Amino acid sequence: MATLNAKYRGLDPIPPPFSKEYPPVALIVEEKCIACDRCPPVCFFDALVMESRPGHKYHRTALVISENCTGCGLCFEACPVEAIIWVPDLEKAKPKTRPGESAMKDADV
Amino acid sequence: MTLATSFLGLQLQSPLLIASGPASHDVNQVALAEEQHIGAIVLKTVCSDKYDHMRYWPRPRYKLLDWDKQISGRSKYFTLYSYEQGYSGTLLDYWDFIRACKDHATVPIVGSIFADIADDWKELALKVQESGADAVELDISSPHRPGSLDFETTFVAAIDAVVKALRIPVLVKLGAGPDVIHQCKAAERCGASAVTLCNRIRGFDVDIETQQPILHGYYAGVGGPWAKYYTFRHVAEAAQSIKIPISATGGATSAEDIIKYVLLGASTVQILSVIMVNGWESIAQIHADLAAYMQRKGIHSLEEIRGKALKTMILPEDIVRWSGEPKTGARNVWKPVDDHGHS
Repeated sequence: MATLNAKYRGLDPIPPPFSKEYPPVALIVEEKCIACDRCPPVCFFDALVMESRPGHKYHRTALVISENCTGCGLCFEACPVEAIIWVPDLEKAKPKTRPGESAMKDADV
Repeated sequence: MTLATSFLGLQLQSPLLIASGPASHDVNQVALAEEQHIGAIVLKTVCSDKYDHMRYWPRPRYKLLDWDKQISGRSKYFTLYSYEQGYSGTLLDYWDFIRACKDHATVPIVGSIFADIADDWKELALKVQESGADAVELDISSPHRPGSLDFETTFVAAIDAVVKALRIPVLVKLGAGPDVIHQCKAAERCGASAVTLCNRIRGFDVDIETQQPILHGYYAGVGGPWAKYYTFRHVAEAAQSIKIPISATGGATSAEDIIKYVLLGASTVQILSVIMVNGWESIAQIHADLAAYMQRKGIHSLEEIRGKALKTMILPEDIVRWSGEPKTGARNVWKPVDDHGHS
């Protein structure tokens, strides 16, 4: 079955389960990060930086600045070791629209 | 040898433009683009207040399909599957954004707008002009475009109203499809300065494990290097049907693609996916490869080869043909097959 799913390497195609209640933001699992520098360049929102981490295997790690993260998902595609996960931004509950109370009167067709 | 290109009366240092999207929603990206000697920047599209919901973005909204990051993201044919939305600020923020870009940019800045009724289009376009943009692009074909708006009834009137009201050049961004040449001609008739061909198109994908649509659960914009062949054709058709310049866009990831678009008649080429997946430096790579090609071919300016491939394009009736498979005789004689598969 692995071959069938091969096209979904990277970002999971289904949003995280909490995404209807809280906005998802990316988080680096620092133990997994190999400091390859691939994720900061794909972020168009200045939400990813490299930081020095004395004691880390590679002495450096990627870091998400969660206030800047728009949860776009692109960094997941860049990470070769699945070191990026979704976490809920607990500060910003209540999405802009929910099913049935959409602002989109003139809905997409 | 020079990459300098004249487009809509603007002198561009390169035929490459940043297409509207995530690489042009922030004034600080202007510096990143200019570092790469980009020709001009098309800013992220702002929607009229009626489409306020387009200012709020789903999470996640980008998925790369058939993208092999194991080879460091050098997959040749991938799909950018996305539900990108509009500029996230208010209209006032957008006018400030244009002003800030103009304050810091040395390259031309193109505003991009979306609305529905002609009056709203006109109002937005006038504000873009007033804020100092060098041109405006009417994004009538976004794959994420809200509403059931029709080209004939809505957008022709919009283009007409905007062109009549503005002094700066007006580009009309059209989507790939059977109507595109008809729409190019309509845009030209309305007085548009150029057309942008072609926007990404609406696509869809389903996850077979959860058996549900992927990401946000609705149709998405799809594009990528594979989509360039449709756009090559549309650019070739348009170059032979209209006189206004063409800004090509769609799947261009290398200097080869840029050269092909120019050979088919495009004046400029807008890129974005390649920046998203390979970074801003990919622009420098394209420029270097373009220069090497021009040097090798002894081309001083891309103007010399613009539309050149169209001159050797021929009509179906002029294609050299030979006799086909004979349908009488052997091909019409039934040969029974025995149990061992032999006839």
